Amino acid sequence: MASQTTDWREAIFAPIGEPVLEIFHIVRGIGATFALTLYYILNGKKRRAAIFEQLYDIGNNSVVFIGVTLGFLGMILIYLAGYQAMRITGDLQLLGALFLQLLLRIFGPTITAMMLATRVGSGMAAQIGSMVVTEQVDALKMCAAQPIEYLVVPRFLASTLMSVVLTIFAILVAFLAGAAVANTAFNVNFNTFWNLSFIGWFDVIICLVKALAFGMAIPIIACQAGLVVTGGSEGVGRATTSAVVHCSLAVVILDFIISGVGFVVLGFI
Amino acid sequence: MANAEQIGGGALLVWEIIAHSFPPRLDGPETWRNLYRVGVKSFPIVAVTAILVGGIMVIQSGTYIEQYGAYGLLGWGAGYSIFREVGPIMIGLMFSGRVGANNTAELGTMKVTDQIDALRALAIDPIGYLVMPRVFTMIVMMFVLVVVGDFVALLGGAITSRYLLGVDMELFAWSVITYIGLHDFLHGLYKAVAFGFAIAVISCHFGLGTKGGAVGVGKAVNSSVVGSAIAIFVIDYFITYIDS
Repeated sequence: MASQTTDWREAIFAPIGEPVLEIFHIVRGIGATFALTLYYILNGKKRRAAIFEQLYDIGNNSVVFIGVTLGFLGMILIYLAGYQAMRITGDLQLLGALFLQLLLRIFGPTITAMMLATRVGSGMAAQIGSMVVTEQVDALKMCAAQPIEYLVVPRFLASTLMSVVLTIFAILVAFLAGAAVANTAFNVNFNTFWNLSFIGWFDVIICLVKALAFGMAIPIIACQAGLVVTGGSEGVGRATTSAVVHCSLAVVILDFIISGVGFVVLGFI
Repeated sequence: MANAEQIGGGALLVWEIIAHSFPPRLDGPETWRNLYRVGVKSFPIVAVTAILVGGIMVIQSGTYIEQYGAYGLLGWGAGYSIFREVGPIMIGLMFSGRVGANNTAELGTMKVTDQIDALRALAIDPIGYLVMPRVFTMIVMMFVLVVVGDFVALLGGAITSRYLLGVDMELFAWSVITYIGLHDFLHGLYKAVAFGFAIAVISCHFGLGTKGGAVGVGKAVNSSVVGSAIAIFVIDYFITYIDS
């Protein structure tokens, strides 16, 4: 009888507790990595060559990818908004101003960060995961070099800076692609489209805050996923997958929080 | 050159998939296993993403709605963008991260451990046995997940509008039902099917082309998710262009 009750309880509570514990372990690992990274940024050696290498890898190598995806996003959004505006008001004067504001507030930083999570996050997890399974990380520890100081800190600094730079680049590309579509499909000329009247300091600040937050979250989560790899090529594949998923989820969650706080703050000013 | 090689390889894979579809034959157990792995296991992550995306869209529309006091348009503003663009794109990106990457990793591991060659030695065609069930599964499950995800996103939007903007859920629902037609919903579903097919082809192509041990698997997954993301945006643009 007693064993039956435990089975019954296990059947109900085990499926609830298991994911909760799993999420708790992931969040704790990410928190520990983040704290150690901050500690080594303040106390560790500055290794310029490594940071520049990462800046090149994260920034320059993502330019084409982000240019293509965000360019298409800008064209998609203008089609969507243009047809709606034609159907409802027939007035396309404010198309450019609204488009730029939406790009700054949400689509620019969020989609750029999703793309960074895809390219940079999976790349970091794959690279560090391969180092773990080929025992290069153990070799680093044997040489008294901290893996977090040696591997995570340059990626963290580079990604934080490059996220902001790439977000600005992405907004420019998306805006120009949108302007081209507005010109060809809806006959809105560029001078009308280039309208800054809606943009306030609030939009610029929220864009930069989002870009910074995403740029800090992605390397920490991806490196953490790479550092805990166990077991050969299968493990590397699993780590890369979880890096992409966790980074994208973190982007969406952070976006929701920052947008919500921004909305409440906007109510006061 | 490398990019051209990948595009050509992907096109050849598409051709082989079409050749294998007549007559259609799927391996039953492998298809069921994939349906469970792809659909059921990705559901929580899609649901969480959708709730938050719905919330974000309501917050963004909310700033304009409050300016003009047109609360009846809130459901339209959020629902229209969720159904047509943001829902399929965000769910597609999560799907490519969760399922596409997983698929590339699995096939890549099989490739580097010579399991694909073992299949060939047993006279089992890897395209028919491994790729076809995955293509079928991803198209079906992407469709189902976008249907579910759209409504979860509306639910998230309704909750956010109630507690952040103070707009009643009834008004939100009324606005969605009044202003949004079936064609908006179907527009997102066309995209879901196209994204599912593209993600399946790209992830299988990079998985089967994996070279060089654990390092190669990581690189294959990286290129697979990058390729899927580009495909999602390009296909989205053309479907929006054709169907609007």
